[in-house]
Amino acid sequence: MTSSMQSIDLDQGSPQGSGQPAGLRATALRRLRRDPVAIFAFSLLVLLVLAALFGGPLAAHLTGHGPNQQFPNALASDSQPLGVMQRTYYPNGTVHNPHGSLFILGADELGRDVLVRVLYGARISLLVATSATAIAVVIGITLGLLAGYLGGWVDAVVNRMTETAMAFPNLLLAVGLAVVVGPGLLNVVIIIALFTWYYPARIVRGTTIATKQMTYVAAARTVGARPRRILLVHLLPQVWGPLLVYATSIIANNIIFEAGLSYLGVGVPPPTASWGQMLSDAVTSGMYQTDITLALAPGLALVLTMLAFNLLGDSLRDALTPGGR
Amino acid sequence: MRTVILKRLGGALIQVIAITVFAWLLFYVISKFTGANPAQRIAGKSATAQEIAEVARIYGLNKPYWQQYLIFMDHLIHGNFGFSYVQMRPVSQILWPATRATASLVLGAAVIWLCIAAPIGAYGGMHPRSAGDVTGRAIAILGMSIPVFWLAPMISYFFGYEPTQGKILGLPILHQGTTIFPIVGYVDFGQNPVQWAYHLILPWITLAIGFAAVYIRFIRTLTAEQLAEDYTRTAKAKGASTARVLLRHVGRNIAPTVTVLLGADVATALTGVFFVETVFAIPGLGYTGLSAIENLDYPVITGVIILCALIAVLLNTIVDLLHAALDPRLRRITGQ
Repeated sequence: MTSSMQSIDLDQGSPQGSGQPAGLRATALRRLRRDPVAIFAFSLLVLLVLAALFGGPLAAHLTGHGPNQQFPNALASDSQPLGVMQRTYYPNGTVHNPHGSLFILGADELGRDVLVRVLYGARISLLVATSATAIAVVIGITLGLLAGYLGGWVDAVVNRMTETAMAFPNLLLAVGLAVVVGPGLLNVVIIIALFTWYYPARIVRGTTIATKQMTYVAAARTVGARPRRILLVHLLPQVWGPLLVYATSIIANNIIFEAGLSYLGVGVPPPTASWGQMLSDAVTSGMYQTDITLALAPGLALVLTMLAFNLLGDSLRDALTPGGR
Repeated sequence: MRTVILKRLGGALIQVIAITVFAWLLFYVISKFTGANPAQRIAGKSATAQEIAEVARIYGLNKPYWQQYLIFMDHLIHGNFGFSYVQMRPVSQILWPATRATASLVLGAAVIWLCIAAPIGAYGGMHPRSAGDVTGRAIAILGMSIPVFWLAPMISYFFGYEPTQGKILGLPILHQGTTIFPIVGYVDFGQNPVQWAYHLILPWITLAIGFAAVYIRFIRTLTAEQLAEDYTRTAKAKGASTARVLLRHVGRNIAPTVTVLLGADVATALTGVFFVETVFAIPGLGYTGLSAIENLDYPVITGVIILCALIAVLLNTIVDLLHAALDPRLRRITGQ
């Protein structure tokens, strides 16, 4: 899961957008609109957000199946769950009822509707990943701006902190923390933020160091601007471009992070539907071997989401690089 | 050069202290505030009052915190990771064979991901925006988007389980009962190297794919950078073959960087083994750690996390020093 984080590392030596000419934002937008990959990724994300917001309740309404509702008739007499596009059994559990309720993606080992749960799972994934990223970015911007602008011992301390944090195998320690503080939605968000703030911090620091040497910052200082004004008005706006690129990668990584924690049983607690939890249920019970849909549905949802974020991140990076790719 | 080494070792020491403080805080201090008595947790779910008192005595849990930390560190330095009351064995005895299995898995996977990524990445760097490069990058971004905990059951299903059911990728073309690759099990290298590799092929590939994707991008960027340099143009101009330019010139210059990345990623791969080992039932650190989480076997959880973190720091330190030794430019930059 951290593997794509490594790509952040490599590129971090060249903070894009520093010293950008005026109008880069417009150029970037124009480039993005012409980039079919960006449009594809963006549409995929819009669909995903729509699915997360309305898909779950809509599917629940249409099928009449709640996300955590268990249907005994969705399990055969040998407790094998319903397959794709099958209707519920008669109470004897061997013959399908032609007027029974339809399970579009089948049922899981507890007789719950897989489709409804996958759609509700999108909520958890996006909610946890975006809020954890938001917290991480706020921490990162604060520390990065201060370290980059003030330099000296502040910079040294922040640097040591980021270096140490980066050397940690973060999922492992997050698992340790999650084991100790216990599962819970808020806990997961905080834990993920705690283990991801250093990527934005490093990027912001790099950009700030590059920007603060520019003439317009010196000019601002000459006319008597206070440090706070320089930080907020002159330096902060410069970090958004590079940060935006990395934020998309960080969201993607955090989606995997959440799913990984849930998969290991220390994430969002059941019965709340989350993709990691659904996968883990299917895999640890061994049920996926007889009914592969149980692993395919949440897995493909994860892969598509990741793909959308990764493609968008790449397109943003290309669009924001001055002078083209 | 000496300052570089000392600086790096100092950094490593800070990291080790940070990791041990973090782990200690986690399992001995924070756990106190979340409602559990650490002695009770270490002693396990079915501990007697006597065992709990014994644990409290050994770990000095009634002493001031700083003394507790020193006791904890003293145990660690002497290789004592505590005692698992769930398995009734010292944790170090549980961790040692697990480390062997995990090392087999991660190192083998690293070889595979380099073998996949080097040719694709180098080709992409040589012919940017060619059809091959676009395909390579598409594969890379797809590979990056597949979480290892989904890939593991998928590979196990389509290449391990299905053939025994007479199918390959869902198509019924085999005889039922055909085994192509084993789904579960691990054979120690010392016992039978052939069986060792045979049982590890699927896990290796599973673990390698995500990293191969990232390395395709790394190697592509690095190769393209080197090919844009004057010295490669000179080499080409004087008539060196493509293979020679790639191996002697480009390869030599990107090797130190790739080594450093590799050190960091082998450490990162320790996270991936959690998922791969559970799916393929390899008795490594991840498998041990995960079953410890299920059984709330705290000494083992602590042991696995600390050990993995220490291995990560050790690897990163070694590759950084190696990098400084291989790349003279770095000595000057970081040695200021």
